[in-house]
Amino acid sequence: MSDADPGRARAAVDRAADRMLDASVLQRVVVATASTALALLVGLAVVAAAGYDPLLFLGNVFEGAFGDENALARTLKFATLFILTGVAVAVAFRAGVFNIGVQGQFVVGGVVCVVAILRLAPALPTGTAGGVALLVLGTAAAALAGGAYAALPGVLKAYAGANEIITTIMLNFIAVGVVGYLVEGPLRGEGNRAPNTERIPEYVELPAVAFDSPDFSVVGLAVALAVVAVVSVVMTRTDVGYDMVTSGHQERAATYSGVDAARTVVATMTLSGMIAGIAGAVFAVMVQGYYSDPSGVGTYGFDAIAVSLLAANNPLGVVPAGLLFGALDSAGTHIGINSDVPVQLIDGIVGLVVLFVAAPELFRVVAPRAGFGGDDR
Amino acid sequence: MDASDAPPAVRLEGITKRFGDVVANDGVDFALEKGSVHALLGENGSGKTTLMSVLYGLYDQDAGTICVDGEPRTFDSPRDAMDAGVGMIHQHFQLVDPMTVLQNVILGHEPTENGLVDEATAREDVAAISSRYDFDVGRHLDARVRDLDLGIRQRVEIVKSLYRGAEVLVLDEPTAVLTPQEVERLFDVMAELTAAGRSLVFITHKLDEALTAADRVTVLRDGEVVDTVAAADTTERELARMMVGREVLFDREPRETAPGDPVLDAEGLRVRGDRGVERVRGVDCTVREGEILGVAGVQGNGQTELVEAITGLRPVAAGTVRLRGGDVTGASRRRRIEEGIAYVPEDRQAEGLVQDYDLVRNALLGNQTVEPYVNRHVVDWAAARDHAEDIVREYDVQPPNPRARAGSLSGGNQQKFVVGREIAHDPDVMVASHPTRGVDIGSIEFIHDRLLALRDEGLAILFVSSKLEEIRKLSDRVAVMYEGEFVDTVDAERVTDEELGLLMAGRGRDGDEPADEVAERATDGSGGVSP
Repeated sequence: MSDADPGRARAAVDRAADRMLDASVLQRVVVATASTALALLVGLAVVAAAGYDPLLFLGNVFEGAFGDENALARTLKFATLFILTGVAVAVAFRAGVFNIGVQGQFVVGGVVCVVAILRLAPALPTGTAGGVALLVLGTAAAALAGGAYAALPGVLKAYAGANEIITTIMLNFIAVGVVGYLVEGPLRGEGNRAPNTERIPEYVELPAVAFDSPDFSVVGLAVALAVVAVVSVVMTRTDVGYDMVTSGHQERAATYSGVDAARTVVATMTLSGMIAGIAGAVFAVMVQGYYSDPSGVGTYGFDAIAVSLLAANNPLGVVPAGLLFGALDSAGTHIGINSDVPVQLIDGIVGLVVLFVAAPELFRVVAPRAGFGGDDR
Repeated sequence: MDASDAPPAVRLEGITKRFGDVVANDGVDFALEKGSVHALLGENGSGKTTLMSVLYGLYDQDAGTICVDGEPRTFDSPRDAMDAGVGMIHQHFQLVDPMTVLQNVILGHEPTENGLVDEATAREDVAAISSRYDFDVGRHLDARVRDLDLGIRQRVEIVKSLYRGAEVLVLDEPTAVLTPQEVERLFDVMAELTAAGRSLVFITHKLDEALTAADRVTVLRDGEVVDTVAAADTTERELARMMVGREVLFDREPRETAPGDPVLDAEGLRVRGDRGVERVRGVDCTVREGEILGVAGVQGNGQTELVEAITGLRPVAAGTVRLRGGDVTGASRRRRIEEGIAYVPEDRQAEGLVQDYDLVRNALLGNQTVEPYVNRHVVDWAAARDHAEDIVREYDVQPPNPRARAGSLSGGNQQKFVVGREIAHDPDVMVASHPTRGVDIGSIEFIHDRLLALRDEGLAILFVSSKLEEIRKLSDRVAVMYEGEFVDTVDAERVTDEELGLLMAGRGRDGDEPADEVAERATDGSGGVSP
């Protein structure tokens, strides 16, 4: 499969590419674990070079991620959001649609959820029954809003040929800008000094159940895992999922088999956006209890791309990947507060982990398209 | 044949190569005379490519010796082979598409001056090679490879090898991706190369090509050499017998059943091609129960667009398509599958199979709305697996493993799987587009037999091919397509190759000369010409 000079180098690259492309699930888990360890090692070297105690730092990482109930709750909170947004990305990537707009759909879903709950609350009874009803309605509204916001670039791609990567990135900015304006003005809670909406009623908030945490609830994690289960079944056991995955693998074969390519693109984007909307709802209800300026709500929708790539765009794989990213973010938060290691350094180390862990997966996705790998794929 | 006293350009002696238990090459002897074309002929999996991969340093042989120019050599890598003057042109081109022709040719061997690429020298050298062999590559030096036709890309590959000093060129199934015109051009190029003293190994499984282009032919079967013969002293029939170990019958067999009612009916069909140009310009055609309508013609005369319009993959600009009298002109692809139009596509690798899927998942392709594989949107993977196993067994797909990745199968086995799956739809109409292209002879015969058996069972088959012998063998009627129209529809039993050839060149229509040379029209034909 190669040709003289640089044939040998190319052959070696192809062999390595093949090995990575053919890696089994188990091998990928090994690769991911080894990459995380390696990234931490390099990170520790950087920490040491910057004049801090690497062992103390390592201790802080574990303490921050799993050290006590507080740390664990924080890890699970981040993980819940990474899992939901990660699945949103994975669904689209699997089907060959590059939805980079999960962040925007997440923001739109979140604010719509809060507004729906605030508007509907007066019409419903208070207490547990009303709370559950409002949660369900708010989440449904968020899913619809997120889905609609993602369907827009889907339609543009399917029927006008607009590149979804560009349109979804643009729509992220628009979502953040418009929602930012809304919480600043029209939706601002009365008497709020900060640009926030009103708080949702207390009886609507999720019960913490096992953890005494103001911003994590086992219910939220359960929602995330339920979404993973549903998506996984849809992708592997239904005709819709088969159509979507086949489109992602080989569009012409999908068309040959009777898949309507345009409709599948729109359906994929809508599904992906709905999941992102649910993620937004969980964030709004579980973490915040109101909605604030979206430029400050965290970049879950972007980090989710790395989460999904790490999981090889497999909905089930998103769970461990989301947990890893949750733990790292949680550790970062802890270290930022409790140690004199500069925050920038921690972000850099998180970045290293992303690089080490996600790069092989990114390669897996991109390599066949770029023509690497021995086989003609 | 060994009249010259010079040592052969390449001599392989007793080459044996095993992969696990499989013996891919078993004591193969092979000698390539200088300045000649030596065809390596064999079915898919007979060991042709393995043998040449040993020569090219991609595999280490388990036994045997390689001599180049009389000198024993060992090649650990393609680079070693290249240094000894052996180049290989792969079936899938090894070119960087976004780069220019010049950049591709010199890649890795750039002439440098003070550490910078000396483009002027490179340009001169490459242009010199190109003009020495009268290639048209020199005119395209600054064109990007992705903008070029496959034929020119292949010549770029050849120039690349020559630039690296190749004296011996191995061409791995070079005609597989080419149109007939480009094949002609390639044979000219090969003649020019041998005239200049280069030696060529021409890997193929096409008998006529081996006879046309080669001086000598070595036939491989199951990893062993059957014989080496001079092309002038042999015939297609003899080569075919050597390849498959038995006579391949390309003769028609008299049929025992008669066609029935019309099933597929197209009227005044007009279809646009990818660039908006009308490629089908008013075609009427009818296929009846138990009938094979062959569509002959030089590739690119609208056959692809016609087939895609009938199968629902391409919109119809004007005209109607009817299935058993019901209008399906605007029906989606999926509805047409459900209504009973099966389709063996021209490009099985891109359309007919998902390369990354195993055969079980490929068995579901096109069956997404068909019970028992899918019930109320839920896929029954056990049923799909049974289906895949049935196809594999009934169509003798190798390896007989439904978990094998489709992309890992040879072309013939891929095609057998596609044909098997499409027939299992229990269709009313089968559209088969070049179903034996790139398929080994054993599989060709198998597919032919299946199509004939299905016809006898009453299936209506629209069969598109550019191979005259199979058109004549299988078809009841032959419609000849030229520039988007059916020039004529003739009785396959009575038409001759010469007559078909004339029709395919667009002659024989009313008003064109020489109409009187044309075959007698089929009296029962519902095809023919639309004004």
